[in-house]
Amino acid sequence: MTGITTHLLDIATGRPLADVQVELYDVATDPPTLLNKVRTNPDGRTDAPMLPAASARTGQFELRFHVGEYFKSAEALSDVVPVRFAVFDAAQHYHVPMLCAPWFFSTYRGS
Amino acid sequence: MANEDMLQPARRQFALSGLALGAAALLPAAAAGQTSPPAPAQGASPVVQAGLSPRLTVHAIDIYSGSAGAGLRIDFSKKEGDSYKLVRTVITNGTGRSDEPLLIGESYQAGDYELLLHMDEYFARKEAKLPAPPFLSKVPVRIRISDITQRIHLPIQFGPWSYTYSRGS
Repeated sequence: MTGITTHLLDIATGRPLADVQVELYDVATDPPTLLNKVRTNPDGRTDAPMLPAASARTGQFELRFHVGEYFKSAEALSDVVPVRFAVFDAAQHYHVPMLCAPWFFSTYRGS
Repeated sequence: MANEDMLQPARRQFALSGLALGAAALLPAAAAGQTSPPAPAQGASPVVQAGLSPRLTVHAIDIYSGSAGAGLRIDFSKKEGDSYKLVRTVITNGTGRSDEPLLIGESYQAGDYELLLHMDEYFARKEAKLPAPPFLSKVPVRIRISDITQRIHLPIQFGPWSYTYSRGS
């Protein structure tokens, strides 16, 4: 499998973040180019990869997680959380999850 | 005064580290160019900030080296309209903190802010073996300050393949 996938999880409840807007941008362009905009499914994932295998390529990408609309907390530390990363090998799969709570945000290259 | 309270323990420790290094340089074994062990978390000792006035402080922790994220360049910007406007660039000191709070007093205003972490140059300096371009290069951390009566401490743990930021204390 190739392309870009993600998974959005609420570490305070141990539950997925469902129905949250997630976008994927190509940030090699100025301004960034919107490639995909979807909402997470009940499992906190997207029904289709953010970047499908057929479109897999190297480049500079950015996922944006609209967590503010989910947390609805006036004191949340972040509203829209960007994760900017490079795909350096189009033959590899890039799974980039976001684990979060209103005051905690964590991402990593997963698998 | 409050500032000094915050920084003094860290400064003292940093100074001591410097003394230790200076002493080591006088020893023949150290002068022979032995490879140094992985850097311990020197200079990253806890700094108590409880009770300080409202401010935004940052602490970068390098989870790749297990040390303070010293020498990390951070472009600190404030959102104005649709874009982020650079406020200033800071380089973290030996404790992984900025010498001064990013915002304090009059400058501590509600709004959206960005810390752009130059992780590519940081890990290049560490000679980390990473693909080119690395997975993480210029990493934006965007935070919102909504209540300026509350101090925000922002610890950022970062490595070449992951990072975590949170509201600290």
